[in-house]
Amino acid sequence: MTKDILMNKTASSSAFSEQRRIQHFKTTRTICGYCGVGCALDLVTRDNRIIAVHPAFDGPANEGALCVKGQFAYDYVHHADRLTYPLVRGADGQLRRATWDAALERAAQGFLDVMQKHGRHAAYGVASGRTPSEANYMMQKFIRVGFGTNYIDNCSRA
Amino acid sequence: MSNPLADMEKPDVIFCIGTNMTEAHPVAATRLKKALARGAKLIVADPRRIRLAEMADLYLPIRVGSDTALLLGMAHVIVREDLIDREFIATRTEGYERLVDHLQEKTPEWAESISGVPAAAIEKAAILYGSSDKAAIYYTLGITEHICGVENVQSLCNLALLSGNIGREGTGINPMRGQNNIQGAGDSGALPNNYVGFQPVTEPANQAKFERAYGRKIDLEKGITKVTALEQCGDTIHAMLIDGENTVVSDPDQEHCIHALKSLEHFVVIDIFLTETAELADVVLPATSWAETDGHFTNTERRIQRVRKAVEPPGEAKPDWWIIGQLAQRMGMAGFDYDSPVPIFNELCELSPIYYGIDWELADSGQYHWPIPYRGHPGTPRLHENEFINGRGKFSFTEYRDPAETIDDEYPLWLTTGRRLESYHTRTQTGRSAGLNELLPEEMLEVHPADVARFGLRDGGWAKVSSRRGAVEVRVKATRRSPQGTVFASFAFANVPINALTGSGYDPITHTAELKVCPVQVEPVVEEALVAAD
Ligand code: SF4
Repeated sequence: MTKDILMNKTASSSAFSEQRRIQHFKTTRTICGYCGVGCALDLVTRDNRIIAVHPAFDGPANEGALCVKGQFAYDYVHHADRLTYPLVRGADGQLRRATWDAALERAAQGFLDVMQKHGRHAAYGVASGRTPSEANYMMQKFIRVGFGTNYIDNCSRA
Repeated sequence: MSNPLADMEKPDVIFCIGTNMTEAHPVAATRLKKALARGAKLIVADPRRIRLAEMADLYLPIRVGSDTALLLGMAHVIVREDLIDREFIATRTEGYERLVDHLQEKTPEWAESISGVPAAAIEKAAILYGSSDKAAIYYTLGITEHICGVENVQSLCNLALLSGNIGREGTGINPMRGQNNIQGAGDSGALPNNYVGFQPVTEPANQAKFERAYGRKIDLEKGITKVTALEQCGDTIHAMLIDGENTVVSDPDQEHCIHALKSLEHFVVIDIFLTETAELADVVLPATSWAETDGHFTNTERRIQRVRKAVEPPGEAKPDWWIIGQLAQRMGMAGFDYDSPVPIFNELCELSPIYYGIDWELADSGQYHWPIPYRGHPGTPRLHENEFINGRGKFSFTEYRDPAETIDDEYPLWLTTGRRLESYHTRTQTGRSAGLNELLPEEMLEVHPADVARFGLRDGGWAKVSSRRGAVEVRVKATRRSPQGTVFASFAFANVPINALTGSGYDPITHTAELKVCPVQVEPVVEEALVAAD
């Protein structure tokens, strides 16, 4: 279906712009970000936007199949609600735009303050079931190295 | 899962319990359909007459929270009818004699009295499963999200051990993991009891290993679970870092959860949207989404697969690994100045006995299922082929326990919760997908037509649902998918926070919340009042 739409679009363009359009397509093999089946898919992108998803016929878990989520639910990536800069809560209780430098400083200082005031067992980390393993590994290392505790979990219990 | 997804096409008998596979794991369900087309028989146990139940050769309409009773009854029949695999029991298991004694009283009639499933159907299911040479079990959160989640799983293991249905093609005990990388999160050591690769923190040798690797001695005691941490917020826990979880909507007992997070002195959230949870934070750090980052996911069959960046992140959003590394360095920690995810993954592999045989380059093909214990090892698509990890498979002597709360005059209906095909978890992503929003614009409470009449409700009208913890208003859908006495809703919509109702109890061992069972009462909402309130 996706392919048809693309073809219609290109059919109505001049041969020249069609060629340019094709040159700007990029496909990237990745894995669906929704459920644990782990379907392989190709993201078709142009001008830094995802414009289609193609199921991977050589995907070991899905062999060419995708469900509605994997096939269509990618436009959240480009949604206007995406967070595009750090936020820090001000004295008035409001979350406000901050630089990375200021936000990281505040985040780091807060953990150091709590540790000094309440000890190492006062901080806790929750890793995500959605992010790559590299993020989860970093979360547990952050807690274990930073506090010397095992106060880390992921969201599998709820 | 003990077996690879490809094995789903191979069994002669498939026993699905507590899994709404066609909605929660649709692509896996297509493999199951291939097995059925080949002539495999399907047994489905579920409180709701879900699509999978309609496909079944034998449907067991079980009362919510009574799985252990049903499974004990089935084990009783397998022993009584002599459908056991003697050689397997003799060479691979322990505790058989004691199990036989334990099952003596667990007759199908006894199981019927608790589960509501007719004894004859329990017998039929047990005979079908037990007499097959290739029978496989599939389950999901319908088994684990109970106060007796551990007993439920152990009772399933008993069936597989009794009949020797494990460690071979088309058999096994196969939990379908929910989130895309929930398996990887555990593998990576984001657990209070295990380092990376499930190495127990209570083992002094592991403590020494990680002291060498991380340059710091880490507690020999287990940490607390997230559930306990949320209970202790403001008490002993004063700072929290949450990465990519909308705790406020996904966790049980919403009021308690919001209160807990608000009582923290310092709260930092890493996420891609300003979720209900991020709104409570002191610092919110914008992360890259799945299409903007490189790394790995491990799927439900333990297959390690590469995720690749396809587009640049919006604005100043950064990868999670970078954010956490920066935070650590600013706190003065050493060993966090990574310049890409590659050395992070390689370090993970080197410290993990189950990823030890691979690295970033080798993982690129996506062909490896862990464990991959050494370089050159081909990976392990099927677990327990020749032996179990801890020697022999142990039978468990489980007992049925009532859910944390049971129905009574005040709360006369069982509420059970779950997922729907068109939405995902708390909808921070699918809720922002235009097409999917049209397919599933609002939550509906699924009620049997007889209960609609009994409680004075109206199909399409509004109902107030209350539990001992809270109340929500939701539109009613009359359907025979729900049995009489049980209603269903998903927890996907923040404006119908079903988890304001749940949270009656937790499994004492795993601390998994009992999200699948919650006694409620329903009453009609006068529609004029609703209009006026608008
Ligand atoms: S496409 Fe559907 S079944 Fe496949 S991983 Fe994504 S959500 Fe799961």
